[in-house]
Amino acid sequence: MAVKAIGEYRFPSRSRQELYGDDQLVSVWFADNPWWCAAAMFRAPQAMTWGDFWTQMVVPYAEEDPDWKADAAYSFSLWGVPLTPRPDQTLAELGIEHKDVIALRAA
Amino acid sequence: MTIAPDASRSASKKTRKLPMKQRYQALTRDLDWEPSYVDPKDMFPYTEFEGIKIHDWSKWEDPFRLTVDAYAKYQAEKDKRLYAVLDGFAQGQGHLSLTDASYLNTMKLFLQGVTPLEYQAHRNFAYLARHLAGPGPRFAALCQSIDEIRHAQTEIHTLSNYNKYYSGLHNYLQQHDRVWYLSVPKSFFDDALSAGPFEFLIAIGFSFEYLLTNLLFVPFMSGASFNGDLPTMTFGFSAQSDESRHMTLGLEAIKFLLEQDEDNVPIVQEWIDKWFWRGYRVTGLVAQMLDYMLPRKVMSWKEAFELYFEQQMMQGLFQDLAFYGITPPRHVEQALSEKEILSHQVYWVLYQFSHAAAFTTSVPDDEHMAWLSATYPDTFDKYFRPLWEKERRNIAAGGRHFVRGLPQLCQVCQIPMTFTEPGDPTTIAQRVSVYEGEKFNTCSDGCQWIFEREPEKYVQAWLPVHQIYQGNCGGPTLPDVLAWYGLQDGDSGEHKGSRDDLNWQRWHAQTPTGLGAEGEQ
Repeated sequence: MAVKAIGEYRFPSRSRQELYGDDQLVSVWFADNPWWCAAAMFRAPQAMTWGDFWTQMVVPYAEEDPDWKADAAYSFSLWGVPLTPRPDQTLAELGIEHKDVIALRAA
Repeated sequence: MTIAPDASRSASKKTRKLPMKQRYQALTRDLDWEPSYVDPKDMFPYTEFEGIKIHDWSKWEDPFRLTVDAYAKYQAEKDKRLYAVLDGFAQGQGHLSLTDASYLNTMKLFLQGVTPLEYQAHRNFAYLARHLAGPGPRFAALCQSIDEIRHAQTEIHTLSNYNKYYSGLHNYLQQHDRVWYLSVPKSFFDDALSAGPFEFLIAIGFSFEYLLTNLLFVPFMSGASFNGDLPTMTFGFSAQSDESRHMTLGLEAIKFLLEQDEDNVPIVQEWIDKWFWRGYRVTGLVAQMLDYMLPRKVMSWKEAFELYFEQQMMQGLFQDLAFYGITPPRHVEQALSEKEILSHQVYWVLYQFSHAAAFTTSVPDDEHMAWLSATYPDTFDKYFRPLWEKERRNIAAGGRHFVRGLPQLCQVCQIPMTFTEPGDPTTIAQRVSVYEGEKFNTCSDGCQWIFEREPEKYVQAWLPVHQIYQGNCGGPTLPDVLAWYGLQDGDSGEHKGSRDDLNWQRWHAQTPTGLGAEGEQ
């Protein structure tokens, strides 16, 4: 059902990917850790490697949890589909798109 | 030349004062006329595009039939009482008789989150007073418009005294427009303001003022009375008679629309479905206020929800509305199932992001946790106490749980995506919709349904996290954003050891009466 309006009602998304240049928004959801009230959202370059994304964004965020272990084994999934990233793969190569949510669980 | 009045004539023909009901009829009749040289559609251009059919505007019954002079007289009397209380409270350093400085966190939330909505309601009811095509509803909307601006003004005056002594109250309007958690009530109301006049009536007149008012407005006033806040309590009494009139008008509005044409029923039903869920999500802020922010508890969120929603609305109102073919709101079962977890989840959000808020938070103490445990026997000890115990250990080790980043937000309610799957309080719900090739995240089936019903509207959402990442909020660092929010030292973060807390302890150590107290500003 469309908006009922007095005239044409069409406006661009206020968070479309082009507003972030070569970057995109990516969320990391610590699915089995209630310490985090919600998934973390990052602005990350599409060409950023998984290794850099992990060490430069995810780890500094997650270290605030006193029980966090960066070198523990984790499994990942993207909308329910398992994701097995290599550190040298870019987010784009991994198929991670703007406003995707990567679920992270202790393996 | 001056013509002297004919004294003998005016004495013999005394003006007869009409009874109030007739005065009201005369008043509203004179507000209406048949246009002779313009098309009625040009005079009232906004009454048809939503698909609502009105056949006879005269069927609108205003149960109060208030006239302008009676309205002004009642309100003046109430204002006189309120301002006398405000003066006495200020002169007697009444703020020192609050239960604790932390109580004012609830009033900070109220001033930042609710008072600006009163002003917005004033604006839209003024619009309805011009654009509804019947004299009765126009006059009712006019009265409510004046009520709402009075409420905004009296709330500001009531709370301004605290601004002399406490943090977080100095810049509420800028904060309402900019700060992340205030986008929750702001976007809710903006959604209603940008709808048509009939949807606004259902959104605000019915859903907000009738269906959810006892869960949105009353808890703040009850909290005030339990925590020594005489000015806010008096404001609450002052507003109460207006609110009961607004409730009656909200009910009248929905019945009027339903009785005018059967085709209106499915339109109104969808609006109830949408606005119940929109309003319910805003009540999350009230839920945490009742269970966590109030030093002296009034009732738990669960008790308030059971009394004011389950009993009064589900077993009362919706039984009556069934006569018109109206059913309880879509997704209501989800709301019912959340009553034992909602307040805990929302306060956990505010706690870990309060370094970027205009209020302070703390870990519940032992007595508070015992109350939470007794009040929520099936959920608190199992799901939430372990988090607070972990945070206590964290604090003992020199930490304090402030998140070093930004959360994912729901595209519709704009609350960080904290809500869990139905029946599973351990798994955060993730919903995603694709519209014109772009993904949109929502926190629940209710918010996803609202998004997918009108995606053109919600793609425009001003989501605080996304705006920060686009560089529209003062700069890339946390201090940049906090400065852009208008926050100052002492407004945010942990309550224990905060400026308000230290002042409070110093004042109470100095003198039991508190006379002559000077806060560190």
